[in-house]
Amino acid sequence: MKNRLRVLRAEREWSQADLAERLEVSRQSVNAIETGKYDPSLPLAFKLARLFGTTIEAIFSDEKS
Amino acid sequence: MKFMDCKTNNPAVWRFTFRFIFLMLLYAVFGVLSTCGLLLWHPNGVLTWLLAILPAIPIGGAVVLTGWYMREEKDEFQSAVLVQSLLGGIGATLVVTTVWGFLENYAHFRRLDILMLWPLYLVFVGISYGIVKARYK
Repeated sequence: MKNRLRVLRAEREWSQADLAERLEVSRQSVNAIETGKYDPSLPLAFKLARLFGTTIEAIFSDEKS
Repeated sequence: MKFMDCKTNNPAVWRFTFRFIFLMLLYAVFGVLSTCGLLLWHPNGVLTWLLAILPAIPIGGAVVLTGWYMREEKDEFQSAVLVQSLLGGIGATLVVTTVWGFLENYAHFRRLDILMLWPLYLVFVGISYGIVKARYK
């Protein structure tokens, strides 16, 4: 799954560790999601969307990354 | 022991680690007790079974503990990594012991002590964990 996490994070000048802290997950989790190697569950995707003030569809698309 | 490579302040990981170490110490104590009991006392009937079951209790506990950890772990990615590592460990243990069983039965290979299954499984889970982590890097 393709995502815009890196862009959204860069816009806010957050490191992976910053985002991980806000999501209460490990930095490795953020890295795995960002690189498209791990698809988050729906609750985590909603958490991400809320955090960036947008919708899940605006972050994730079902294209291959 | 840092079982999982995630935030060091992750309470679920620390609780799991301490509980797991405690269970493994218990396994060692029960293992010695069971061995000495069976070899020295030559018990009969129920006591034989009880002494044999004793070291298996912490192993069963470790399985329950893993389920417990997965309920407590808030980081779903870490849980997924653990599940994949455990599957890898189970798979490798089954494959290796099956191959060894055939070699034992039909190619006169040395007998593999069944008590080695648990340490073997832990080694394979460890190797599998490293491989799974590398895949996500």
